[in-house]
Amino acid sequence: MKRLKGIPVSAGVAIGYAKIIEREKLHIDRKSIPKNMIEAELKRFKDDVDFVVKEIEHLISNYSYSKENEEILTAQKMILRDPEFSKRVTALISEELDNLENAISTYFTEITDIFNNMDNEFFSQRLSDFEDVAYRLLSHTLKKRKNLLNKLDETSILIMENISPSFVTKVFEKKIQGLCTEKGSKNSHSSIIARSMNLPTLVSTIELLENIEENQQVIIDGNKGELIISPTKSILEKYEKIFQQENAEKEKLQKLVNIESKTIDNRKIKLMSNIEIPEEIDQVLKYKSEGIGLFRTEFLFIDIDELPSEEEQYKIYRKIAEKCYPEPVIIRTIDVGGDKFSKILNITHEENPNLGWRGIRISLENIPIFRQQVRAILRANIKGNVKIMFPMISCVEEIIEAKKIIEECKKDLKKEKVRYVEDIEIGAMIEIPSAVITSDTLAEECDFLSIGTNDLVQYILAVDRDNESISKYYKPCDPSVIRSIKLTVDNAHEKGIKVAICGEMASEKIFVKLLVGLGIDELSVSPGRLLIVKNEILKCDKKNAEKLVAKILRKNTSDEIYQLLIK
Amino acid sequence: MIRKTIVIVNKLGMHARPATLIVKAASKYRSDFRIIKEDMEINGKSIMGVMTLAAEYGSELELVADGVDEEFLIKEIAELFASKFGEE
Repeated sequence: MKRLKGIPVSAGVAIGYAKIIEREKLHIDRKSIPKNMIEAELKRFKDDVDFVVKEIEHLISNYSYSKENEEILTAQKMILRDPEFSKRVTALISEELDNLENAISTYFTEITDIFNNMDNEFFSQRLSDFEDVAYRLLSHTLKKRKNLLNKLDETSILIMENISPSFVTKVFEKKIQGLCTEKGSKNSHSSIIARSMNLPTLVSTIELLENIEENQQVIIDGNKGELIISPTKSILEKYEKIFQQENAEKEKLQKLVNIESKTIDNRKIKLMSNIEIPEEIDQVLKYKSEGIGLFRTEFLFIDIDELPSEEEQYKIYRKIAEKCYPEPVIIRTIDVGGDKFSKILNITHEENPNLGWRGIRISLENIPIFRQQVRAILRANIKGNVKIMFPMISCVEEIIEAKKIIEECKKDLKKEKVRYVEDIEIGAMIEIPSAVITSDTLAEECDFLSIGTNDLVQYILAVDRDNESISKYYKPCDPSVIRSIKLTVDNAHEKGIKVAICGEMASEKIFVKLLVGLGIDELSVSPGRLLIVKNEILKCDKKNAEKLVAKILRKNTSDEIYQLLIK
Repeated sequence: MIRKTIVIVNKLGMHARPATLIVKAASKYRSDFRIIKEDMEINGKSIMGVMTLAAEYGSELELVADGVDEEFLIKEIAELFASKFGEE
């Protein structure tokens, strides 16, 4: 038995058999062909290229949600359609009498050498895209392309060096038990998708590939972050028990998909999803989420070399809005800290980025970027189910300023005769104490409010949530936090608008009753948590929850409140 | 045959995206299209050719088109360079 440490991406235990998928080394047979074979070999070249181009076109239309991904695939297609490529391979076949695989590999080696000799980093980075397409074509030519997915079934735990987002979706359809990779990070796109599918997953698993063999029995412990290879009988039995419990729970939850989210006494609590990347939409629909309560748009702006265009943003927002229709989609404008934006905006280091230049502050000082995003959102609202939300609001002036820009954008669109829907709801994130205190004023300017509890707790208690040494001071059930939520809800309801919670508090079982009792109208959680939270809502009686809240509001310490919540 | 000299004015130089745009634009025309940088000459309709030029900000390129629609080809490509490929 061996144990390997990994980073857990989503919780849960999986037991199964290791199925390793990796790139085979291609063996090129350097043979020459007889002269009478030239025609046949050239025809084979054309057919193989056509086949792989078609395959790439299929990927572009079905699996590319991001501009970057689409650009890479388009570039790969152009590499295959490159006239110089065709010229060189044709010459190698008809003059040197190389066989096709030999000719292709010679050309690719020549180009790789040129790339490797360039001192320009930008181009050497492109090498991997190039190698990828070379591999695709050669493996097709060599008929080495087995359908890698064929060996996967519902007993499999997939082992890979690294995995692409589209591949995660494909293997999930095979109903595999779990996924374990040697590389990758907790918040990569692939990980986000695995998490929203509740697929037990480990990434960054140390020395994975050198320790594992095909078909070995393995256990993924997504709770502890461990891969156990060839477990002993007693360990296996222990994990089988946990697995069965988890599975029974999952099956129970699965039955809730079609049940409406409301309390025992028939009070509606709208249950929505938070998504970070467009690919999560499949899970949102699968779990019948009542729309998207928080569509983070940071993925468009982080780690990029150039800004996304209005058109590109529009296409993505529109796709999501259409897929969710008639349920609403709340798109939040950029909420990155200056540090992540530095490549493009020339930002200097900040001593205290959490209290620094981020969220709406960046948008309002970079009007062209902000306008582009607002225009894209307005245009995406074709069916009227899109709403717009601003992060890090600290005072009403920011909302007024942002609304002014929305109006200007509408005027421009009208002038340009571009289609959009005039009415769009506008909301503010409540996550800064000043916004809580002035939530009555904010409510007057907004159509809805959404409380971001992660930041709210951090700002109210002055606790950096990423600083482990002070983690015990990060207390979501502190009286100050609960009173802040109450004040916000009361102010909003007085002005006749709704309040949502889109922070982690909404997805913790123990807080659901509290939030219902406080009068929250909507909860928005990550797709993987939807059914867990729905289960809690269904068990909840609003009248009782209100009584519990009344009791909680009289308590002075977070400990006492915690005790009441877990009772 | 027409020749035109241009200078790369977009800051990032001729990386993958501009290269793709150039090849896409040039491929619409029937004329031959070549790009010369110092002692290097490549086919302007070849993505690998354009990328291996590794032309950076400030470098000087000579565009050479030859064929029935050479004028239009040169005009469109020159405009692409001048527009900085939509960056900035």
